[in-house]
Amino acid sequence: MKRGFYPSLFLALALAYPLLLSTPFQQRLGALVLLYAIGASAWNVIGGYAGQVSVGHVMFFGCGAYASLACYVHFGWPPLLGLPLGILASIGIAALIGTPTLRLSGHYFSMATIAVAELLRLVVTNIELLGGAVGLSGPVMPRTWLDLSFTSALPYYYFFLAVLLFVLWVTWRMEQSRMGYYLRAIKDNERAARSLGVEAGRYKLYAFMLSAGLTSIAGSLYAIMFGFIDPESGLGMLTSVKMLIMAALGGAGLLFGPLVGAVILVPLEEISNTLLGGKGAGLTFMAYGAIIMVIARFYPSGILKLLQDRLRPSAGGRQSDVA
Amino acid sequence: MLLEARSLTKTFGAFKAVNDVSLRINKGDIIGLIGPNGAGKSTFFNCLTGDLVPSSGQVFLNGQDVTHLGPEQRAQLGLARSFQVPLSFEGMSVIENVMIGAFLRSADPAVARAKAMEVLTLTGLSAMCDAPASSLGTPGRKRLEIARALATDPDVLLLDEAMAGLTATEVQQAIALVRDIHKLGITLVIVEHIMEVIISLAEQVIVFHQGHEIARGTPQEVTQNEHVIAAYLGKRAAATAARGFAEGGA
Repeated sequence: MKRGFYPSLFLALALAYPLLLSTPFQQRLGALVLLYAIGASAWNVIGGYAGQVSVGHVMFFGCGAYASLACYVHFGWPPLLGLPLGILASIGIAALIGTPTLRLSGHYFSMATIAVAELLRLVVTNIELLGGAVGLSGPVMPRTWLDLSFTSALPYYYFFLAVLLFVLWVTWRMEQSRMGYYLRAIKDNERAARSLGVEAGRYKLYAFMLSAGLTSIAGSLYAIMFGFIDPESGLGMLTSVKMLIMAALGGAGLLFGPLVGAVILVPLEEISNTLLGGKGAGLTFMAYGAIIMVIARFYPSGILKLLQDRLRPSAGGRQSDVA
Repeated sequence: MLLEARSLTKTFGAFKAVNDVSLRINKGDIIGLIGPNGAGKSTFFNCLTGDLVPSSGQVFLNGQDVTHLGPEQRAQLGLARSFQVPLSFEGMSVIENVMIGAFLRSADPAVARAKAMEVLTLTGLSAMCDAPASSLGTPGRKRLEIARALATDPDVLLLDEAMAGLTATEVQQAIALVRDIHKLGITLVIVEHIMEVIISLAEQVIVFHQGHEIARGTPQEVTQNEHVIAAYLGKRAAATAARGFAEGGA
């Protein structure tokens, strides 16, 4: 089968989906899947390819979301104009906290990112300019089309699809370049990589900054679609965990892994929320905990990897014969 | 002078693993570092590669003081190494492992792949270039270590027990490979347990014992040195050996 078959199939299905399943719920669900796929794919750059598991990525998501709505609230700009500012702020924050924390190995980096994200959430809760605990709202009625405020989810769907394709293209370019090879080497064995001249610290930082910038885009898109952001939705730890779980379930370090994870998890969450209503809030955390355990135990490299190995059994057999 | 160590000392707490050892290596040399287990040769080796920072003393590479440079910067300056326990990139194919080394001199994946293939041919691994590195056995992994290091185009290659765990035939093949590498004009520093390897390869040998250098010279000279025999066999056994086992049975 041709290399590009599955991506082409996905693209065709993705383009047709909101036309085939056209109820508002289905279209909104589609847009959400794409939004989370963007976030999880962005996380994948540092967490998957470089193997540095950030559990505080919501800080970059929050950067994008707050930048978009703060620009609207304070300057009256369309929220979209805040998107590049969010990217710049995220890259700056990533450089600032990545420089000391990426020296930490293993779980210490994860813990440091949790700590910084929680700190940021508490700080933002106390900043009046950013809406404090109440949060910020976007335009109630669209002033021009530039506000990107629609009642239907359909325009968001195609907008997010375009952004997801962009994020995947950037990731693919990185994967094919020297940096992609270097990140995989660092993930496998940092000491060996350094002995071959790989400046591990520098490349991890690049990956962290790239990942942060892309994550910020997801945050801005969220703010544009929902028109509201508060410390919980914009900087709460659950969002960090979601990005991580989607990437890990689908296949961390694989280009389409996070997308597969989002396609599975987002509908599950939306459907269970609809069925359980407001009562299910705490259950979401429990479900994610259970999913983490199942992934760690049964699919440490993700579902996509499992499928790839199933679909190409001959390749696996041939390669193990060589030794 | 290609690589020079000036009175290197490395202490771990109160323990002096390496005590005031100096070394000068010229272009084209093959130097062997030997000694019993725990003699400090691996610690000394790691100070040369930048994996450890010496407690005192200096390391010079091509005349530049590299004492405080990390392994990645020393690699950029022309120093390459292998690891005693092979540290292959398990998630990659054999050729991708070698490409990581080749990327040091070119950012272009096509150029790196071509360079990697060239090195794989030299090291006899070209047939399995697309196999996952995790499918290689010990001899393959040891070769992959060397191939990866060679792909960085080094001036000096440091081999840390590159032949440990190989069978006699594999050792002979590995010795031939090391000779081929030397013919390319690459200077070699070899840490080795197997005397046969050192004797057939090294021009000069430095013997470590308890962190000190106890002997230096050609392989023939050091193997007859009484301090070396004492270090390897213990003082009593050495004395016994010297007395020709005359009273050994008593």
